[in-house]
Amino acid sequence: MQSNHTEKMSSLGLSAWYGEKQALVNVSISMKANSVTAIIGPSGCGKSTYIRCLNRMHELVPKATVTGQVLLDKEDIYGPGVDPVMIRRRVGMVFQKPNPFPTMSIYDNVAAGLKLTGMRRGKSLDDIVKSSLEQAGLWDEVKYDLKKPGTSVSGGQQQRLCIARAIALQPEVILMDEPCSALDPVATAKIEGLMASLKEKYTVVVVTHNMQQASRVADFTAFLYLGKLIEYDETTKIFENPKEDLTERYITGKFG
Amino acid sequence: MDKMPRLMDMGLEKLNSLLLDMATLSQQAVSASIEAYSRGGKGAEVKQMSTRLQSLHRQVSDLSMEMIARYQPVATDLRFLKACLEISYGFFRYGRYALDIAEVLDMFGDLSKCDRKFVVETAHKTQEMIRMSVEAFARRDVEMARKIPKMDDVVDESYRNNLKKMLEEKGNLKCSLSSTLILRYLERIADHATYIGESVEYISTGVEPPA
Amino acid sequence: MNSYRVRKFKDRTFSILGLVCVIVAVLPLGSILLEVVVRGAPIISWNFLTQTPGAEGQTVGGIGPSIQGSLILIGLTSLIGIPIGIMSGVFLAEYGDNKYASLMRLFNDVLTEFPSIVAGVTVFLAFVLYFGHFSPLAGSLALSFILIPIVARTTEESIKLVPNSLREASAALGVRRWRTTVSIVIAAAKAGLITGSLLAVARIAGETAPLIMTVLGNSYFFQGFGQPIDALPLRIWRDALQPYPDIQAAGWGAAFVLILVVLTINIGVRLATGGRRGSRR
Repeated sequence: MQSNHTEKMSSLGLSAWYGEKQALVNVSISMKANSVTAIIGPSGCGKSTYIRCLNRMHELVPKATVTGQVLLDKEDIYGPGVDPVMIRRRVGMVFQKPNPFPTMSIYDNVAAGLKLTGMRRGKSLDDIVKSSLEQAGLWDEVKYDLKKPGTSVSGGQQQRLCIARAIALQPEVILMDEPCSALDPVATAKIEGLMASLKEKYTVVVVTHNMQQASRVADFTAFLYLGKLIEYDETTKIFENPKEDLTERYITGKFG
Repeated sequence: MDKMPRLMDMGLEKLNSLLLDMATLSQQAVSASIEAYSRGGKGAEVKQMSTRLQSLHRQVSDLSMEMIARYQPVATDLRFLKACLEISYGFFRYGRYALDIAEVLDMFGDLSKCDRKFVVETAHKTQEMIRMSVEAFARRDVEMARKIPKMDDVVDESYRNNLKKMLEEKGNLKCSLSSTLILRYLERIADHATYIGESVEYISTGVEPPA
Repeated sequence: MNSYRVRKFKDRTFSILGLVCVIVAVLPLGSILLEVVVRGAPIISWNFLTQTPGAEGQTVGGIGPSIQGSLILIGLTSLIGIPIGIMSGVFLAEYGDNKYASLMRLFNDVLTEFPSIVAGVTVFLAFVLYFGHFSPLAGSLALSFILIPIVARTTEESIKLVPNSLREASAALGVRRWRTTVSIVIAAAKAGLITGSLLAVARIAGETAPLIMTVLGNSYFFQGFGQPIDALPLRIWRDALQPYPDIQAAGWGAAFVLILVVLTINIGVRLATGGRRGSRR
């Protein structure tokens, strides 16, 4: 295990645009290895944009641009000659709505990343699929249904399937973009428990509009407002004694 | 940004008013018992006040727990609730010690022959501390809250000096015992006034006193 | 109460009006179908389906060569047109965010609306005259001109219906763009692609005009890629022009067979896609 507070990833003066519209202004956050970092803020504050800059998904939107740096193990992922596809293999992502591939079985969904990228890591595909599903806490629920379509299971299971799909590539960082917003409380609790266990192996960054979720799962919390980083600190400090008045008003619900 | 009412606000207001009630009542209880001591009464009304304070304290802690369960408060709200429990307990203890004093009076009977001047002086300092703690809470006045510990030192000193004096002098046992006990209770009240002051400071600054 | 009656009356009126419109629209189609079945079905027999046509004015014979020719033309056209159509559609949908693509889309739309005889004339001038003979290849080429824009259009629409979240999911796994297109997007749109292709095939199965100038027509079974070939629509056209009732009857029979083929493809599409064809629009 790495020590608790080494930096795995960080953004330095990160700004992002959609065409003329600036969505992020000079955001610098340092994400520690083996921890859960939560990004919170009201709708449209740029939290999803931020997380999408961390695996270079932002630039897939037409006319989207980025300035500043994002360091992964001290190397700028926006540096010259860096292949965004390779970055995405190291930085996995889970989306708001569960999106398993509808044409594939549960097994093939988990194996999809390895098959489609042509990556195999020594171990047999079966072992990787099994261990990924186990890490996603889904193995016991689907082990007899691996051939069924990925979309045949419940929403919460689909989301864990998507987590397993991301894990199968052995990423270093897992980004989650509001992973529970389409799920019921029980499924949400399972995903939250999963985040806590995932951080033992990975660095987790989660965007959430649910502040209680951030306070439950995150070790560090960043509050974004209008594309700017207002405050970033240990979660306990943010939720017990925030330094900024804006943070205070947002998390206590005294906003607007 | 105009302020929208939050569900939690109603509960917070209710808590605040419960605490203000407790503040008034506990002040009255301590005053009544000290009055009885200095003027030679029995402080029979203190018993009732103390019981009432206990029930209010229970209401405060129930309501606080309910609000934590229902609203998952954070930041100032969370700190206020945490402080409420401390402060409410402090007010409840004021009432308890007032009752203890009244019970001493009841048990010891007539104390008119004793020299009560020193105890009453200390009592007034303690009452001043109570007043300051109540005001600091009512107005969230951190400056005032910070003045309380200095007075606590004075009361502690009084208690210790009196105890030494009582050990050295061979006076009337009834007088020395009663004054020692009452000073002891006053010293405890002063401690709680200090805790309340610290809680008031915690609400505003989030800084907890060193353990 | 009164207003209820008024509303009820209006409701009835418009229901009946709607029904009348439907009947007016369906009536011609129904009468044509009925006519073809009544006149064409009796003549169907094993011999009729497999024999070559008889000598003019003497025996009727069969429409074997026409069926064979139609199948060859459909097969060849599909072989040429469907891959090109699908690839163009995929290009337009996935990489179609630039001015070349919009130009291509415009041409495609114009081509869809083109009179089919123009395709025949074009191939006649560019291919038949150049090589000096009518041929199945020329026919397939002309039919491809009609098939490709339809397939490209339906493919583009189907591909666009694939939710973007799947492309994102794939991209986030570090899958390359082309691989995502092939393995995720096309796989998800497969049903739509098959439907579109089959409907386009059904459309070209009935085309006559482009064939007149490219395959000419014939009374014999397939004789090689350099020789004229027959097709069902051509057969119907030629038989209908004959003065002999027997031969006209053979034309009705051929029409009946052609309608069966087209109907089978359409119904097949319905069954294969679970009736979802309508919702694609």
